[in-house]
Amino acid sequence: MHTRRYSFVALAVMVACTGGESSPARRSLIDSRDTYDPRSLDPALSTDVPTGRAVGYVFDGLVRFTPDAQIVPGLAREWTVSPDGLTYTFHLRTGVKFQDGRPFVAHNVTASFQRALDPATKGGRGWPLYPIAGAKDYADGKASSVSGMTTPNDSTVVIRLTEPFAIFPKLLAMPVASIVPDSVPANFGEHPIGTGPWKFVEWKHDDYLLFAKNAGYWDTPPKSDSLRARIIPEPSTAVAEFESGNVDVLYVPEGETRNWEETDDKKAMLETAPALRVFYIAINTTRGPLSDPRVRQALNYATDAAGILEGIVSGRGNLAAGVIPPSLAGSDTTRKRYPHDVAKAKQLLAAAGHPTGIDVELWSSQTPPFPRIAQTVQANLAEAGVRVKIVQRDASSMREAARSGKTDMALKDWYADYPDAEDFLYPLLHSANKGVGGNVSFYSNPKFDKLVSDARREQDEAKRVSMYRDADQMAYDDAPMIYLFFYKELYAVQPWITGFVVPSIFTGQRWTDVQITRHP
Amino acid sequence: MIVVFLLLYVAPGDPVQDMVGERADAETIARLRKDLHLDEPLPKQFILYAGGVLRGDLGKSYITQRPIIEDIRERFPKTLLLAGTAMLLASILGITIGVLSSRNPGGWFDRLSLGFAYLGISFPVYWVGLILILIFAVTLHWLPPSGYGGIKYLVLPALALGSRSIAFLARVTRSAMLDVLGGDFVRTARAKGLKERSVIMRHALRNALIPIVTVLGLDFGYYLTGSILTETIFSWPGIGRYVVNAIARRDLPAINGSVLFLSVVFVLVNLITDLAYAKADPRVAFN
Repeated sequence: MHTRRYSFVALAVMVACTGGESSPARRSLIDSRDTYDPRSLDPALSTDVPTGRAVGYVFDGLVRFTPDAQIVPGLAREWTVSPDGLTYTFHLRTGVKFQDGRPFVAHNVTASFQRALDPATKGGRGWPLYPIAGAKDYADGKASSVSGMTTPNDSTVVIRLTEPFAIFPKLLAMPVASIVPDSVPANFGEHPIGTGPWKFVEWKHDDYLLFAKNAGYWDTPPKSDSLRARIIPEPSTAVAEFESGNVDVLYVPEGETRNWEETDDKKAMLETAPALRVFYIAINTTRGPLSDPRVRQALNYATDAAGILEGIVSGRGNLAAGVIPPSLAGSDTTRKRYPHDVAKAKQLLAAAGHPTGIDVELWSSQTPPFPRIAQTVQANLAEAGVRVKIVQRDASSMREAARSGKTDMALKDWYADYPDAEDFLYPLLHSANKGVGGNVSFYSNPKFDKLVSDARREQDEAKRVSMYRDADQMAYDDAPMIYLFFYKELYAVQPWITGFVVPSIFTGQRWTDVQITRHP
Repeated sequence: MIVVFLLLYVAPGDPVQDMVGERADAETIARLRKDLHLDEPLPKQFILYAGGVLRGDLGKSYITQRPIIEDIRERFPKTLLLAGTAMLLASILGITIGVLSSRNPGGWFDRLSLGFAYLGISFPVYWVGLILILIFAVTLHWLPPSGYGGIKYLVLPALALGSRSIAFLARVTRSAMLDVLGGDFVRTARAKGLKERSVIMRHALRNALIPIVTVLGLDFGYYLTGSILTETIFSWPGIGRYVVNAIARRDLPAINGSVLFLSVVFVLVNLITDLAYAKADPRVAFN
């Protein structure tokens, strides 16, 4: 009897001790956003989101992104471009040290780029550096060095491009262009050393990554002493960790959006930012009736994109009428998406010679929310007489099938690697990128190609933006995809956290201004 | 091993495309395929791989470039710890509940435990896991919701993983005990004037052990390989999640290596179960 009473008291005490809103005793910042183990912490291998994020903590590039996806100087103080747009001269910061004490000099820049391109590194992500003269040849093993990079002195790097490419500096803010020290050891991916705001401490695979403040950081050092990036594969678990106060920020799962928006104390913690991410269905423009633009427009008319946006992702986004997200220059926000108009769809199909409708396969991965979107599209298209067979495969199989042109339609999303309309128009729709490059619509329109290629070379910002807008309109009229929506990030941030801004681009938040503030 | 190897190479999906990510170029893909010998004919790929395995080399992950054997060495002990704890919990709780229900078949405890057993067997493990998190972590704050660390991190995942076994073992123990308790030797033991406790523990339970050991042995294999959901729900860094990630990314050496390793473990567990029979019942000899 005695012990029973004791345990009852203990229980009551435990329950009493569980306050909800008070700030935690810990001082370390804890992130919950990674859902799988990073591939490596070696910048040259950064092909996935967790890797890119971690690389951004430990390393610097010549430039970097702010949370709202603006580009600002990093290890380069400033840069100049020659009038022909071919030569970039980067003036580097002096007195910067790597975390092991070695000084950062111009030679590190060229060596880092060369290493990322080196076939022996087997990184597989050389393309952001391909605009550099000789980079592609080097990556393909046809040259012994990259011809387009020189270092006149320790604080200057001169980079020559194969052709003018006005947004080139944006590509240098990608993780793969981070600067690494000389003589990198074989286990660099497990023990990275950079010049960044956080020093790597430890990595427990599938568990967490731990970083400590780099007190000697050349820019303002982080306000907190340490940062732990936990790897939590199950979104519901991340929510439970957040509600228990064990993590500081949370991606609110799509399925929980309403719950959070409609509960007052939860709503107060929500923060949002437009994501550079588009959901769409690539229509393979080379297959059967889908080669007719009228058929593809009909598919757009028949799809109730607004219903999908509202019903499946809880209204988290804006309807897409083009591929350029509304937060990027070149987006035409006055353009209205094809309205949901079944009669119009039927009429277009009949005009294209398919009065009895068509049969198509729609491929989708098994990752939420894709299967539900696919089912809704199937039901929408059925109303217009389009008989859709859904083929559901794991992401890897589906990607391979779409890239090799075996899919009629493929339900996909696309995240920007750098904040520019070019990162949507060029990979998704330019004929140079058919298949593995990202254009799984196999869209090929010489006029569109020329416009996008010219825009890449155009130095005048205003002109370039207007070319993007025209190109987007041109493709939109050809309808090489069913346009769905642009996604909006929804985060929950604990009330004790200050300085966290939701990033529009995944490498845009380095936690340097973030800290836990204590309320008395 | 051959079957797994063939299945993987026949399955759709391309490891190299998973390596390079969303935007890629054909030359890079071709070069990486060559580097990884993926352009060689299948028999040659298999010989290359089998040769490595015979030398004790499971190869390196295509994706992370880390040696597979190190990845397994880091993760398997954690799965073993989770599975072992789940089994320990299952045997203690399951056998106790089973023995207690057999004492008074049809009584309130028996009926209550039957109810829980049905629930335990019917609920999927991820559901049990989420409910446990909701009750003991989010609401009561007694235990952390997920992660790897000391014993407090172990309780919930072990309970979730063991929940099916607790229920199952309780039923198996109960029926085995009821069979045995009707036996002549139990009447004899009672007639000798032994205490009821001694009758149950030393005479009856011992004779009921064979079916219990069988269930435990089978379940342990299931724990090791079937802990994937539990590890995912509780962010437990074990081998189950490793295999799932490897499959999602078509990391062929990682899948081959871990499946091979788990097969060996499975065989070992079955062997140990068979040996345990002999310990539980001297009539089972193994010569």
